[in-house]
Amino acid sequence: MTGYLALDEVSVSFDGFRAVDGLSFSVEEGELRCLIGPNGAGKSTALDMICGKVRPTAGTIFLQGRALNRLEEHEIARAGIGRKFQVPSVFRELTVRQNLDVAHSRQVGVWANIARFGHHADRDGLEKLAELVGLEDRLEVPAGHLSHGQTQWLEIAMLVAQDPRVILMDEPTAGMTVQETRKTADLFNRLKGKHTLIVVEHDMGFIKEIGDVISVMHQGRLLAEGSVGEIEQHAEVRAAYLGSGGISGA
Amino acid sequence: MSASTTHNPGHRRTWLQIAIYGAVCLTIFLVPTILDNDFLLNKYSRYLVFGILAIALSLSWGYCGILNLGQAASFGLGCYCMAMALKLRTVPVHTGDDGLPDFMVWNNVTELPWFWVPFHSLPFALFAGIAVPTVLAALVGWFMFRARITGVYVAIITLASLVVVNLLIIDQQRYTGGFNGITDLAQLELFGLTFDAYSRNSYYLVASVLAACLFAALAITKSKTGLILQAIRDHEDRVRYFGYDVAHYKIFAFSASAAIAGIAGMLYTIVMEFASPTFLDVPLSLSVVIWCAVGGRQSLLGAALGAIVVTGTQGALSDSGIFLQSWTLLMGMIFVASVLFLPKGLAGLAELAGERLRRLGRDTPPPVKTDVLGPVREGEGLA
Repeated sequence: MTGYLALDEVSVSFDGFRAVDGLSFSVEEGELRCLIGPNGAGKSTALDMICGKVRPTAGTIFLQGRALNRLEEHEIARAGIGRKFQVPSVFRELTVRQNLDVAHSRQVGVWANIARFGHHADRDGLEKLAELVGLEDRLEVPAGHLSHGQTQWLEIAMLVAQDPRVILMDEPTAGMTVQETRKTADLFNRLKGKHTLIVVEHDMGFIKEIGDVISVMHQGRLLAEGSVGEIEQHAEVRAAYLGSGGISGA
Repeated sequence: MSASTTHNPGHRRTWLQIAIYGAVCLTIFLVPTILDNDFLLNKYSRYLVFGILAIALSLSWGYCGILNLGQAASFGLGCYCMAMALKLRTVPVHTGDDGLPDFMVWNNVTELPWFWVPFHSLPFALFAGIAVPTVLAALVGWFMFRARITGVYVAIITLASLVVVNLLIIDQQRYTGGFNGITDLAQLELFGLTFDAYSRNSYYLVASVLAACLFAALAITKSKTGLILQAIRDHEDRVRYFGYDVAHYKIFAFSASAAIAGIAGMLYTIVMEFASPTFLDVPLSLSVVIWCAVGGRQSLLGAALGAIVVTGTQGALSDSGIFLQSWTLLMGMIFVASVLFLPKGLAGLAELAGERLRRLGRDTPPPVKTDVLGPVREGEGLA
């Protein structure tokens, strides 16, 4: 397989149900790839397999030619994969600042971190980051007190702090207002190029703003791949997912 | 730019914490100057030792969510390491031929067992009192945390490990003194000082170690490692996807906690002048959980004070004629009340009071939303 991040005939079954069935696609470095498909198409499961949460029962996932399958989750993260979960996953009892500090994981060892106090190695950076997502006034607030949209942004900011080469985003705009979604689209367009992104989304307006290439999944398989225009015209995609109205109507 | 570059509330909080911790330690140090009663000092030393033990559990349970019900195993192993060294230093009249401990003579042991021999050296004993519990914890922790065992299963495994160690010590009477434990100990002599259990020296020794453990544990919790431990407590799986090896961090917290418990155990032998299997039994181990819950497990100082207050009250109640029969009932009620009404223990109460005071001081009242999930999450920690 070629490509920066590549899935080669990857499958996984849960109790006999093949959630992902021989999925192959590859993403180039710096690309922002959108992954769409109806509910149960296996989009989240595909991300789960890339970040190690779910082990593929067959097939291989490569990052720059290196197989990720046999690695543990933290090793995959160290290899350069970051993940934002569908249900916002932050540390609710820790403050926003502490959340960003944890995510800023240049040093991962127990002994390397025991002598590090104050964590202000990159304090300005963290504060700029908080500003970027509009949380600069909430740095000392426990993450459990944030609104849903703010929690989404905190997790996105945490991924930026982690600074992985590949960022996997699972429905980043779920629960966001129109303005918040637009701001997120701006942010993603800035991340593009520096990071390689795979974004699972349902919001077609959002996809139109950020997407270069779209991969469509259906019943655990890749159904189609192409630009927004190509996907809109794709007969099978329309039948399976978009309906007759096309992307604009969805 | 936000105002936090000029004054970071997190840092201010740390300094306030250091000041409070220091003030409490100072108060503990000043007790002998106003109290000239060696019997009471010995009693208070015992409470302080329990304070150290509670700090140990706070580090693993409060900061990393590992509910260790076998804390007394680490404590007891520390006790026995110190007792072995002090037994071998007893004046010959108390021991058998060739310096063989008396209980070995009674059990027809003719030669000092190999694992007793290095305890002729006091530095070795002090090292072993920390190393044995730490290595054992690291081993148990390695099996548990590599296998991603969490929650109530950790509680069960640690409790079972404690029972195993306890039974082993009771069973091996020839080498450990069995039920009777190891008695008739010499007094510890270190740096030219003699630590008589009923003396200021011992009290100061315990108080110094308490202060050292308190600040060492505080340093751990304030480091980035400490932050990651708290993140693990909060959402273990999330931590993995940032590249941290959760098992490593948990093994570290579990072992560091065991090391502190081992130190407390060594001090306990000095203060009690014997070692007994009751120092590593289940009731003591469960008591530590109660101390931490009452004092506030997410505060090292809170846990220590919880231990001192609970054991102190226990001592006072069991001494008084009125509560001779009912003190355990009373302690149970205090525990239930603190779990129900003070999910963060006495430390949480103090924090709330501090918050109120600060808000009175400023006239801008920021409506800090209290964590309604508090009691529920507390329950999760126990489960």
